[in-house]
Amino acid sequence: MEIHFADGHFVPEKLSVQAGSPFVIKVVNLSSERIEFESFKLNREKVVEPGKTILVKVPALRPGTYDFFDDFNEKVPEGSIVAQ
Amino acid sequence: MNTRRLATLAALALAAGSTLSSRCLALVDAWEFEVYPYNTLSRGMAEFETDNSFVSSGHELGGDGLSNGTVPSRRTWYNSYEVTYGLTDRIEAALYLNMAEPASGGLRWAGDNLRLRGRLFDEETLPVNLGWYLELEWHKTPQFDDAVRELEFRPIIEKDFGRLALMVNPKFEKVLAGAGHDQGVEFGYDAAVHYRWTRRLSPGLEFYGGTGLIDQADPGTSQQHYIFPTVWGEFPGGLEYNFGVGYGLTRGSDRVVFKFNVELEGFVGAIIKKASSDRGWFF
Repeated sequence: MEIHFADGHFVPEKLSVQAGSPFVIKVVNLSSERIEFESFKLNREKVVEPGKTILVKVPALRPGTYDFFDDFNEKVPEGSIVAQ
Repeated sequence: MNTRRLATLAALALAAGSTLSSRCLALVDAWEFEVYPYNTLSRGMAEFETDNSFVSSGHELGGDGLSNGTVPSRRTWYNSYEVTYGLTDRIEAALYLNMAEPASGGLRWAGDNLRLRGRLFDEETLPVNLGWYLELEWHKTPQFDDAVRELEFRPIIEKDFGRLALMVNPKFEKVLAGAGHDQGVEFGYDAAVHYRWTRRLSPGLEFYGGTGLIDQADPGTSQQHYIFPTVWGEFPGGLEYNFGVGYGLTRGSDRVVFKFNVELEGFVGAIIKKASSDRGWFF
């Protein structure tokens, strides 16, 4: 499962995962800016340097929608992880 | 001298000895009503935080309730400033300046702390997320503590159940210099249940307390135990807050304590250039 950050956006902005199974998100920062990949509902927060990749481990989720955003820039559109 | 009188004298001598060698136990820290999570600051991040508490109803004598020195806790504002820096992706360092304004007036220096905190492994590697906390404290004596220097260690334990986070920080404190340096290790705890409702506003329940020396617990009524219903979240602009009202649950506790903590974090630059390995567990 991969999310890219480029041109001030996360791609994809909506990610579908299977509820009840743990998973790992690979966050690739393709931009020249430093970002902080954060999900309030998932309790995850990690800085991603320009050109770098991080792994975010997520436990099995209940069905629902979980946010993610760049905590360094409020103008970046918020994305969502939909567990179903 | 009859046996009863001898026994009375022996009891008095024991009590006097115990009073002379004991100290006001500092297991509940009035300068920091905060429960530490597993997460640490990322490498190169800095955080500025101010923690505040005010005892609106409490003990009028020094050494009772949240007071560890000669200044009483009742109507005292405890105010601390903390700067934290992410050394690596798993270890952060912090420096505290502790101030206090007693009911008699005048904001004054009360002490300093130097702290290292880390998280072990990546999240979800172990059944519970584990971290550690090591702090060296200096106190202004005798006004705000009767111990000059102390060392504190806490394991940090966190488990998330969906949007509910359970955090427990058992505290072990040893006096290095000053009153009580010849005593053993004191035990206390900070714990919290936080529900992640919205980013702007979420509820929580926090618990702080201390039982005395590990090998010689205080009587139940003399121990301090507090429960704080709290609200926490983030204002637009990134300023994070945690506000709560604490209620003392024992006679040894102060009755009502307000707390208000705010913090702001940002990237300032990494001094350690290499990122922590995903397969690492300590650095």
